Amino acid sequence: MLTARDVMVSTFHTLSPKFSIEEAAKLFKTASELEQRRIFGLIVTDQSGRLIGMMSMYDILLFIRPKHVQVWGMMDDINIAGLMEEICSRAKSVLVEDIMTTDLITVTPDTSVMFILDIMITKHIRRIPVVEDGKVEGIVYISDLFFNLINELAP
Amino acid sequence: MLPLEKNTTLRDLEVKDAMRRQFTSLPGDLPIESGIRVLIKYKVGALMITDKDGLPIGVVSKTDVMGAYYAAMSLDTPLDQIMVSPPLFCSPVDSLESTLETMRSRRIYRLYVTKGSSSERAIGVVAYPDIVGLLYRYCRGCDQSLVNRRTKKMDGGDALRFRVKDAMTPSVTSFFEHDSLSEIIEGLSVNHFGAVLIRDGNSTPVGVISKTDLILAYRRGISLEAGAGTILSSSSVRACEEMEFIEDAIRKMIFSEVHRFFVYRNEQQNIIGVLSLRDAARLRSGSCLACLSSRIKVGSESIA
Repeated sequence: MLTARDVMVSTFHTLSPKFSIEEAAKLFKTASELEQRRIFGLIVTDQSGRLIGMMSMYDILLFIRPKHVQVWGMMDDINIAGLMEEICSRAKSVLVEDIMTTDLITVTPDTSVMFILDIMITKHIRRIPVVEDGKVEGIVYISDLFFNLINELAP
Repeated sequence: MLPLEKNTTLRDLEVKDAMRRQFTSLPGDLPIESGIRVLIKYKVGALMITDKDGLPIGVVSKTDVMGAYYAAMSLDTPLDQIMVSPPLFCSPVDSLESTLETMRSRRIYRLYVTKGSSSERAIGVVAYPDIVGLLYRYCRGCDQSLVNRRTKKMDGGDALRFRVKDAMTPSVTSFFEHDSLSEIIEGLSVNHFGAVLIRDGNSTPVGVISKTDLILAYRRGISLEAGAGTILSSSSVRACEEMEFIEDAIRKMIFSEVHRFFVYRNEQQNIIGVLSLRDAARLRSGSCLACLSSRIKVGSESIA
């Protein structure tokens, strides 16, 4: 039976909790270029390399979404000078640790892929850090899991 | 304030017309730190606090979190120890007028909506921005609205229009860069403000410190004795001119991230007041007198 070790990616990029959202956005871009795949989630580690959180595309989109957006409705006169500039300005002062997700689910390298599959489906998550002895060894992405499993279905 | 106690645009509207069905809630045993993260992440002003069965037992607002900071409480303190309990509720069929009155007299920014008794699950929330948003949509659909007048290049009618100065609070509380965070919290609490203006040694406005800035400082472990200058973000003072049409100011407030504009006269340095979404909501009659006068024409009971 396949385990996390067989399907995880062991090269990954990490964010510092003290990074601003602007710096985090930069790392999302450079990590995607380096890995030749679009990165939608990054792990956050402290100075000793311990996993303390994750930051996903959704966290950043929530940050960008304007307040009171429910009022916008079907209006066509939404042309507020400086709206994006305002968001960019806040992206310099809000930190990764302020908005990262901290209640994390992790697995070990020996966790069965079937167990990982179940977590991903029931908890609606697309990536899970693989941790051993407090150290992050890799990340399992739902897409890699899928392609490993369809290989079993159609060898 | 304007003499518009009756015959307002809100007259026939109910809570269900303005309420939002999505709101944020957290279990009361979670620590303050988790609460701050959710307040920041979802850009909300308060959290509904629930018990083990998911039933509402209280509310934690940014003001309450700021109070915990001021009292030097640990970030690990459970949210149910700082919540205001019980939460105040209204019904979806309550009039918006009475709801605004409750919010004013109880000095609160929002009311949760429940169908039956208050021990039931909440079905929504109504806050000042929701009411202002409703007024704005109402006004925008009107022939007299600035948008429609500008598109159709109609002239006149501006005399009926409210200006920022008609609704603003005509005083400003400001602090200096060297004032401590605890002094600023005292100033915000005493005046029930959401933010204060910060000036440099020459009394020039250099920034704004809001409750959001303060709860972030709390989460980051910044000392209450630190000076205001240490947490002043790079963003400038959002201000509007006192003679600006309130319709324009409301639109800018709703669509940008702010709950208030500082108001200046003649030059930006000369700040004379504050226009908040709360002030705008209390205008109650939308952004001009047009609908009021048309109602007077329609029926005599409207004049009451």
